[in-house]
Amino acid sequence: MAELLEVKHLKKYFPIKGGVFRHVVGHLKAVDDVSLSIMKGRTFGLVGESGCGKSTLGRAILRLHEPTSGQVMLDGKNITTLSEKELVTSRRDMQIIFQDPYASLSPRRTILQTLLEPLETHGIGTPASRRARVEELLDIVSLRKNILHRYPHEFSGGQRQRIGIARALTLEPKFIVADEAVSALDVSVQSQVLNLLAELQRNMGISFLFISHDLAVVQHISDDVGVMYLGRLVETASAMDLYRSPKHPYTRALLSAIPVPDPKTKIKRIILEGDVPSPLNPPSGCPFRTRCSEAMDKCAESTPELADVSDGGSAHHVACHLY
Amino acid sequence: MTIKEPLLSIRNLEVEFTTERGIVRAIDDVSFDVYPGETLGLVGESGCGKSVTSLAVLGLIPSPPGHITKGSIVLDGRELVGLPESEYRRIRGSEASMIFQEPMTALNPVFTVANQMTDVLIRHQKMTRKQARNHAIDMLALVGIPSPERRIDEYPHQMSGGMRQRVMIAMAISCSPKLLLADEPTTALDVTTQAQVMEQIVKLQDQLGTAVVLVTHDLAVVAETCNRAVVMYAGTIAEEAPIEDLFDHPRHPYTEGLMKSIPRIREQKLVELPTIPGTVPDLLTLPPGCRFADRCYKVVEECRLAEPQLLHDASRAVACYRPN
Repeated sequence: MAELLEVKHLKKYFPIKGGVFRHVVGHLKAVDDVSLSIMKGRTFGLVGESGCGKSTLGRAILRLHEPTSGQVMLDGKNITTLSEKELVTSRRDMQIIFQDPYASLSPRRTILQTLLEPLETHGIGTPASRRARVEELLDIVSLRKNILHRYPHEFSGGQRQRIGIARALTLEPKFIVADEAVSALDVSVQSQVLNLLAELQRNMGISFLFISHDLAVVQHISDDVGVMYLGRLVETASAMDLYRSPKHPYTRALLSAIPVPDPKTKIKRIILEGDVPSPLNPPSGCPFRTRCSEAMDKCAESTPELADVSDGGSAHHVACHLY
Repeated sequence: MTIKEPLLSIRNLEVEFTTERGIVRAIDDVSFDVYPGETLGLVGESGCGKSVTSLAVLGLIPSPPGHITKGSIVLDGRELVGLPESEYRRIRGSEASMIFQEPMTALNPVFTVANQMTDVLIRHQKMTRKQARNHAIDMLALVGIPSPERRIDEYPHQMSGGMRQRVMIAMAISCSPKLLLADEPTTALDVTTQAQVMEQIVKLQDQLGTAVVLVTHDLAVVAETCNRAVVMYAGTIAEEAPIEDLFDHPRHPYTEGLMKSIPRIREQKLVELPTIPGTVPDLLTLPPGCRFADRCYKVVEECRLAEPQLLHDASRAVACYRPN
């Protein structure tokens, strides 16, 4: 199987300006040296708490945020060095689905106008064939054709998310970033949309970067999972491995914090002390050491790199001095 | 178990909102009890009426457009429906209090925590400023805020989301209310913070014996913290049961569907997640029979004719013609 997306040492630093002259006084390292790859037709799940940089990573890959350094290869093409003009063409191959489809759909446009726009922008097809494509898209996301002349506010959250998905699919992308795509939906609707995404992947071979704070959803939808903390990937593994044998103390705490929908199970919970440190002033060495129960002297001195800890099975990487 | 008098007793509650499109009955004939010291989960998806129910208890339904059109709410032997605002003010905070989903909107950004916390204590508990401050510091310590004597002089924006939610809880319990209504208290928080805050709520309840109504869409949180749960759907109660019974044997097809569709960590991956087909009905154009009929896998003709009543047996209740 071929790699569709390869991210190498991607960094996204936001300058912090201060003082009378608005000099750059420091950098917020939102994404700090992240590498990952996604195979064709597979899903990489990205988990972490708010502010860990997972959304910024998704946007930096698509160059919605200009990366500070590093490389993104999509289907053999280097996205990071494309000119603005070339980037517009390449956007056909990579799309994004947002958390709140209400905020990302124009309230003044009918569903038809919204779905036609990408086709018109890229000058694809004739008016008749575009219309046919839009109808086909509605069919794919299980919406009726009679909704075409309606406006976003007339739909429920689940239906709006289907419209958002239809829009992302318009140009037959190879890669989609789904940023908290089901987080705002009620559980019964959430599972409908997750099933839809899985079906699309099976039928069209799309690769997903699935960003979510919900670890159970990520396990279900992903082939591989990466855990982020303060801008860095601290553990990556296949979805099954990560949940079965988490290595990093942060991953373990994160997994143990998930409430279990069974009143008879009382799990031993690792309650993390304190809050995530400010990314403006991260701890020296390992970013997690201030909340880690296993922290040693070494953890303050050097930042652990991702190292392979797999025991024969699929790849399992962890950035921790314990291993 | 001895039979206790309920602390809160809601009977045939009906709440309506006037909208541009017509009158919406957000709560339709809802009845349930909350007993002293228990934790009751009020569960359902968006628009089911769970939040409106909790707001109704404290007389906080925005009016207009909303008002209680029928029913009774009895708290500790006293009828609340129809009380004047001045009476409600005396009850809020001292006898029953509430925590909201977003503490940033519930806390006043221009006052320090000390200001906001002592205000209630001076008013309700007739404490002096000094006493109130000391009591507030004790409360902050109780909810697990480190160095409370320093943090009490901070403004809400200087705190993290988890800290703010703790401040809200400390404020809510500072007058030792008998009833605490918690409306999605951890929904805006990360899982690790959620675990901290829920642990705190459970611990406090053990210590203070406050009855808690946990309003949430999250069945997993309910499973971990509640003794009993009331499941709501489209403004009515679908099912009510002790927590273990509910999870062991959900009787209403809606509860069953909801439980199956919760994403959970699994040993083996499923190809497809179980779902409930369709969407919640529009409250303005409800079908004549059962509100869940269009999405129900067990639907029969009877379901579409008249709405099923909530029928009680020894410990649980269900509104369904063909319960499991």
